[in-house]
Amino acid sequence: MENLGASIVLRMEMITHGQTNGDREEIQEQFGRERTDGDREENLRTILPTMLQQFFDGHRIHCSCEGKRWRERYLDYYDDDYDDDFDFDDDTDPDRRAEVALQTRDGSSCKVITKECLLAAQREDIQRVMELLSLKEHQARTLLIHYRWDVDKVFEVLVEKGKDRLYAEACVMVQDDDNLNSTHCSSLALCEICMEEVPVYKMTTMDCGHCFCNNCWTEHFVVKINEGQSRRISCMAHKCYVVCDEDKIRNYVSEKDPDLAEQFDRYLLESYIEDNKRVKWCPSVPHCGNAIRIEYDEYCEVECACGVQFCFSCSSEAHSPCSCQMWELWTQKCRDESETINWITVNTKNCPKCHKPVEKNGGCNLVKCICGQSFCWLCGGATGFDHTWDSIRGHTCGRFKEEYTANVARATSEIMRYSHYHDRFKAHSDSLKAEITLKEKLQRKISNMEARELEIKNYDWVTNGAERLFRSRRIISYSYPFAYYMFSDTFLSEEMTKEERNIKKNLFEDHQQQLEGHIEKLSGFLEEPFDMYLEEKVMESRMRIMNLSKTADVLCKNLYDYIDNEILLHLGTTINIVPYRSKGADKAVELDL
Amino acid sequence: MVDFGRVQKELQECNKDINVSGISVNPKSDNLTNLIGTIPGPIGTPYEGGTFNIDIDLPDGYPFEPPRMKFATKVWHPNISSQSGAICLDILKDQWSPALTLKTALLSIQALLSAPQPDDPQDAVVAQQYLKDYQTFASTAHYWTESFAKASSLGVEEKVQKLVEMGFPEGLVRSTLEVVGGDENLALEKLCSG
Ligand SMILES: [Zn+2]
Ligand SMILES: [Zn+2]
Ligand SMILES: [Zn+2]
Ligand SMILES: [Zn+2]
Ligand SMILES: [Zn+2]
Ligand SMILES: [Zn+2]
Ligand SMILES: [Zn+2]
Repeated sequence: MENLGASIVLRMEMITHGQTNGDREEIQEQFGRERTDGDREENLRTILPTMLQQFFDGHRIHCSCEGKRWRERYLDYYDDDYDDDFDFDDDTDPDRRAEVALQTRDGSSCKVITKECLLAAQREDIQRVMELLSLKEHQARTLLIHYRWDVDKVFEVLVEKGKDRLYAEACVMVQDDDNLNSTHCSSLALCEICMEEVPVYKMTTMDCGHCFCNNCWTEHFVVKINEGQSRRISCMAHKCYVVCDEDKIRNYVSEKDPDLAEQFDRYLLESYIEDNKRVKWCPSVPHCGNAIRIEYDEYCEVECACGVQFCFSCSSEAHSPCSCQMWELWTQKCRDESETINWITVNTKNCPKCHKPVEKNGGCNLVKCICGQSFCWLCGGATGFDHTWDSIRGHTCGRFKEEYTANVARATSEIMRYSHYHDRFKAHSDSLKAEITLKEKLQRKISNMEARELEIKNYDWVTNGAERLFRSRRIISYSYPFAYYMFSDTFLSEEMTKEERNIKKNLFEDHQQQLEGHIEKLSGFLEEPFDMYLEEKVMESRMRIMNLSKTADVLCKNLYDYIDNEILLHLGTTINIVPYRSKGADKAVELDL
Repeated sequence: MVDFGRVQKELQECNKDINVSGISVNPKSDNLTNLIGTIPGPIGTPYEGGTFNIDIDLPDGYPFEPPRMKFATKVWHPNISSQSGAICLDILKDQWSPALTLKTALLSIQALLSAPQPDDPQDAVVAQQYLKDYQTFASTAHYWTESFAKASSLGVEEKVQKLVEMGFPEGLVRSTLEVVGGDENLALEKLCSG
């Protein structure tokens, strides 16, 4: 409880300390505190990464260009909600009924495939293809592996291109069994691999008609399985790509090496997941053993039976309304803190003697490293120390002056922009982490209230409120990296003019701010010790939480509508964003076979 | 374990028609896993007249795994490393089939000498030269054939020796010979004109 309070206070402070200072003034102010204006030699220092970190930490509390507006909005909404006099019962809430309906409609669209039912799931698809085309199991599997386990695709190719093309593309050969064996009737035949005369009963002909001795087939299978090619072990003949019968492979290999035969089966089984565009392993660490199968759109967020939520399309954490590409760029950016590195490159130069980075913070263009070496800031060349305000004795240059100023301006504005979005993203994701503990606390509050035997019997409003809080908090958090890229002048530079971008950015921020206001309020109410209130007051809390939950849901939906209709619809580039679902990530249900 | 029975048979088969194909395979030592193959340079190519030796290493899984082959003789070719002799050829990698033999592999290498595939190069420098300046490529390849793939002909060493005795530095002599494609008289002319 205390921790949570503290994190909220910090954010509130961020809001109330809001100033309208421009970003550049702030950065200067930051360094102003560190700068000593006395001795000329003291206007230099060697930069340490920790100092930079301090700068960012400091900045995080002070920067709040939008803070004031944010706060006004916040208060507006606070008042609005207080004035409105909602009154509805849990059971008659139309939204609740709608949610139930949605649940049943979407309920079956996404399945958990446990280790145990993997085989059955796979067999189901193989069976469909075997029946439709009267194929053997290995032929159906080869087709499915080739078409990435997309049964519909197999049928589509069948209709569009015909059976022969369908088989040829996947290297499946279908022949009558009688045809195969009649070609080798003599009692001894030459195996062209081992070059030995072998009794015919010790030889095997594959679907393609190529016949070699069983020993050679076995060796071939063993080598291929060990090479990790179990899914497509083709015939031994040169340029014959027909895939071998898996029953034969299994039989021969298990005679020689039963463990390897088991490994072969495991590879075949896993192909159902690894080569399948509708199925993905759950990315949980340590791995829960499950895979998830979706039915419709690959751009969705799913929740595995183990509780992990992830983006089905890229397998990383659920990140809507960020697109997968934006999310990847963002995590990369946060990881290598490239802006910090960038900042160091424009604001520091390496000493020509000891090569440590030296920062210049005002003063003349002669800088002196802690190692004692003086050098010219403009060209980086080593010089003597004898100098005046605008010249260094025996040294004349000035070539980097303009370039340097331009670089600093560019890097500074970019770094400020990044930290603006990053601060907000991080504030919300930190809150989300802190709020996870809220679940247990709320459970205790529910127990307390139940023990008091109040008139209210149904406490869904508490758990629903918490769920709504988490869901909205996620969305608002990921809306910052989304905005960072969507409104940057480099990400989609051709798509929008500067003016358009600015208008859209402002409107988007309006949506964000409205949502933010409600999220903080909802969070605040859920934190209140309402379980200790008089019954009448509990009713009030209940109503507020229910209203806020409902509005947060509507605001999230509005935010997505804005993204869809006002931003994405007008772009030439397709950006796939997982659509808003009031229910949150699709909870996968266990596959029932 | 290498299938020595098969290797033995392969060697017999291959060396039977050596007069027709010019291709031979012989054991380096007596354990049959290290062999040396020989192919004649194809007629009508800069490799004509040369005899190229190929180091063959048989992996345990042979013939189910491809034999490891590389040129022991230095050769100037887009798909063969001028440094290591490594060969870029699909049948020595993923397109190997146990139904292929050492002889068929050597025949494929011989075919590669006739028809370089500069789009899938092993040696980028040679491939660039092949595409941009075929004449220089051809004369360099010819010079290398003369220098390294002809044991019997008047060797490059002798030419070098002769020019060095005339008072030119050895390094310069070698690079000049390379530039003019091994022609002794042209080299002398060039060396004299500075
Ligand atoms: Zn055999
Ligand atoms: Zn075949
Ligand atoms: Zn899981
Ligand atoms: Zn994604
Ligand atoms: Zn220094
Ligand atoms: Zn100075
Ligand atoms: Zn200078």
